[in-house]
Amino acid sequence: MSQALVPALLNLLFRAFVVLLLPPLIPGLITKIKAWMAGRSGPPVLQLYYDLAKLARKQAVFSRTTTWVFLAGPVGTVAALLVASLLIPLGHTAPLLAFEGDVILFAYLLGLGRFLTVLSALDTGSAFEGMGAAREVSFSALAEPALFFGFAALARATGSLSLTPMLQSHGMWTAGHLSGPLMLILAGWGIVFLAENSRIPVDDPNTHLELTMIHEVMVLDHSGRPLALILYGASLKLVVLGALLVDPLLPVLSKGWLNGLAFLGGITLLAVVVGLVESTTARFRMNKVPQFLVAGVLASAFAFLLLLV
Amino acid sequence: MAAAFLPLVPPLNEGRFSTLLGALGSLLAFLAAAHALLGGVPSHLDFHFWQGPARLELDALSAAFLLPLHLVAGLGIIYGADYWPITLSKGFGRSLRFFFGFLVTAMTLLFVTQNGLLFLVAWEIMAISAFFLVNTEHHRPEVRRASWVYLVCTHTGTLAITASVILLAHRLGGFAWSPLPPGAQGSLDVWILVLAVLGFAFKAGLLPLHFWLPAAHASAPSHVSAILSAVMLKTGIYGLLRVSSLLPGVPAWMGGGLLTLGAMSAVYGVWNALAQRDYKRLLAYSSIENLGIITMGVGLGWTGRALGDPWLTALGFGGAIFHVWNHAIFKSLLFFGSGALLHATGTRDMEGLGGLAARMPRTALVLLPGVLAVAALPPFNGFLSEWFLYRGLFASLRGGDAWSSGLALLALVFTGGLAAVAFARFYGVIFLGTPRSEAGAHAHDPSRLMLVPMGILAALTLGIGLLSLPLLPVLDRVVAVVAPGQALARGLPLATLVGRDFRMLLLLEGLLLVFGGLALAWLRPGAQTAEAPPTWDCGYAAPTARMQYTGSSFAEGWSVFLPGLTQRVRSIRALFPRAHSFHTRIQDAVGDGLLAPWLERVAARLFRFHRFQTGYLSVYILYVLVTLLGVFLWLLLRARLSL
Repeated sequence: MSQALVPALLNLLFRAFVVLLLPPLIPGLITKIKAWMAGRSGPPVLQLYYDLAKLARKQAVFSRTTTWVFLAGPVGTVAALLVASLLIPLGHTAPLLAFEGDVILFAYLLGLGRFLTVLSALDTGSAFEGMGAAREVSFSALAEPALFFGFAALARATGSLSLTPMLQSHGMWTAGHLSGPLMLILAGWGIVFLAENSRIPVDDPNTHLELTMIHEVMVLDHSGRPLALILYGASLKLVVLGALLVDPLLPVLSKGWLNGLAFLGGITLLAVVVGLVESTTARFRMNKVPQFLVAGVLASAFAFLLLLV
Repeated sequence: MAAAFLPLVPPLNEGRFSTLLGALGSLLAFLAAAHALLGGVPSHLDFHFWQGPARLELDALSAAFLLPLHLVAGLGIIYGADYWPITLSKGFGRSLRFFFGFLVTAMTLLFVTQNGLLFLVAWEIMAISAFFLVNTEHHRPEVRRASWVYLVCTHTGTLAITASVILLAHRLGGFAWSPLPPGAQGSLDVWILVLAVLGFAFKAGLLPLHFWLPAAHASAPSHVSAILSAVMLKTGIYGLLRVSSLLPGVPAWMGGGLLTLGAMSAVYGVWNALAQRDYKRLLAYSSIENLGIITMGVGLGWTGRALGDPWLTALGFGGAIFHVWNHAIFKSLLFFGSGALLHATGTRDMEGLGGLAARMPRTALVLLPGVLAVAALPPFNGFLSEWFLYRGLFASLRGGDAWSSGLALLALVFTGGLAAVAFARFYGVIFLGTPRSEAGAHAHDPSRLMLVPMGILAALTLGIGLLSLPLLPVLDRVVAVVAPGQALARGLPLATLVGRDFRMLLLLEGLLLVFGGLALAWLRPGAQTAEAPPTWDCGYAAPTARMQYTGSSFAEGWSVFLPGLTQRVRSIRALFPRAHSFHTRIQDAVGDGLLAPWLERVAARLFRFHRFQTGYLSVYILYVLVTLLGVFLWLLLRARLSL
């Protein structure tokens, strides 16, 4: 009894660490890589933790146009992402919850967070936030098919509709006819990852001009604790969607804790890659973004077609 | 049980008494339907109708449609008492109540009858009373036009349904409907189904036979729009399910075909909803989308029946029925809400509204669940039925019609994404921000009689989203009627197959609310003490309502993909240009763009027969005589020749 209990508890602790404590580190890492690439020393890696601690102590300011809907965005996003993080496998560690059809819940939870964020942006009545909201919904409507085609292809390949078997089926790399589609899926999801997390080349979180933003402009009016929730939610989204990309690439190791370490290494590597991409590319013009997203849709659609015939 | 068969008394009396009576009738019928669904013995009533045996029977399939009908009708009657007071304009209020009762009665009869002729009679009463309801405000020309277009369309559909019912009678050996045993395939089956799909698709508003729907549903009073969208469209789905349940089998290609048709309608409906400025038209287009989704479920079920796959059958039909209920709940909520908006602001143009969440806080609160449900977001009910359909589509990818289900999968994903855009726009432009015109500036919440029905429906969207586990065995009972001798016979009900997954799903949705509550509790202490500042508009300190994003600008990013949205802009080219104006016109790409010109050409061709229509009675009598003479001659000649 106790022999089964200890690994389960450790697994739970690991999961709590990854979901609750780790996320703010990832944006810090990306910023650090970008700073190094540009020859600067940059802010500390733990900067986001300091920011969150500061925001938690600050008073929030609410514009006179806003209503209770204004809080639905931060609250809903974080709640949806926390539930989504229960479903996703972290590397090849034991899953916490898995059932047939959880992948649909996963995708729609991301949708719920986005929907509420858009509503709270429109609640301010600001022209800029409306603009950001319109862009966000248009682009994510294109990103969603890319995500789903990948799921459909994996569902057909693994015969399961649950995230855990889909992402942990390492045998796909060795089965010759499956490795090609898997690469295409990961390419498509890579684009989804950049778009959904508002990274360059789709969106630039650090730009100083509101007109060129997508996601950041939607949260201009949030402050204090609501803003802290938004920042934490954004970093959690990096981890949750990052796991989609990292999991299929990780090798299966003999020990549970080694698998956990492998996952942490994978996420760190992903942060480094994102930092390198951001340092070497420029943000696309707004009208080029849909083309980039359609490329993602086509990649995973092609993977799906390959598995269909 | 007899109460279920008692037609609703058309409330002719004045005032509260008729409202009470109507609501009571609906409550009785609702309870009877619920009793039948919860495993009560199917009760029936046999009698003779037009020299043939006729039967009214309340089986699980009938009850599955009676349930939403009487939920929406009962709440609609209560809502209508204040929404359209009988004293408002003499005549209108009375005819509205009369035909509302008639419509509900006709649909009740339609759902319980097991006789082809009676079905057609009920269908016709329903169609005509709906015509009068749409035509309530007949002093406005656009309402008259909408209701006439509706009347013509519904009768064209009735033609196909009549043909289908006659063929079915030929096949069954009478108008009495009892299922044929499996294995008794006939050559007529395909034709019966094709005609049924044609006729019922007109009613359900499937592409390309949807064009009557947006105008009719936008023109009707809001509680009528609610019952038209939430229930009457689904009589088409009911017809498809009932007719196909009588036949021994369905060809596999029809399942795939119906799936594709549903997928196309879903995408087309939501695509158009995205562009609309009139919020009631937006809701009507969203009904086309949802009927498309339901049709996808029926198509999956047909595929499952054709392939003998009980798993696919149960998921397809179960998902379709579940979505019928869910759509009835959230769409009637949204239409009731649109009525409250119309009442408070007097305009159907969302570009003139804004900031109503501060002015109508209760309406805004009860409509948010409806908006989230129609966008199929967890933890509300719309998500659960789409979850069923996704599982059905994935199952079909593996063991069914892979190509059509792959296409439908894409359509469902895209529909979900676009519905979120359309309804973020709906809620954001109407309720959030600041008022864009005088119309919305002095709006206020409606009376309690209008708010309570909306509150009940809003509670249902969340309640079903969290606690719908007991619905699985109910869905099993309905599927057993729709696909006789397939799902239950092999011991594969939904309750055991998806029970565990479904429980987990509901658990996680509950957890979502818990997390949300925790996050909200953490935010609480940060209440603001100083006076509220204006919204940060990048340093601009005097933002006006006209600077906000409007519904049109919100959909602007999609306009290149929207062939229905035609835009005329006069170019502005000068250093100091003078005042210019442009305007946009939204049209239905298929209805106004393709079908209307074609119909005009056909009408012009048919006009040459106009010379036969002289207007003199004597000439018409001559036509009758000539025809009679011709028939006599033909009979005579035939008798001679055969001799």
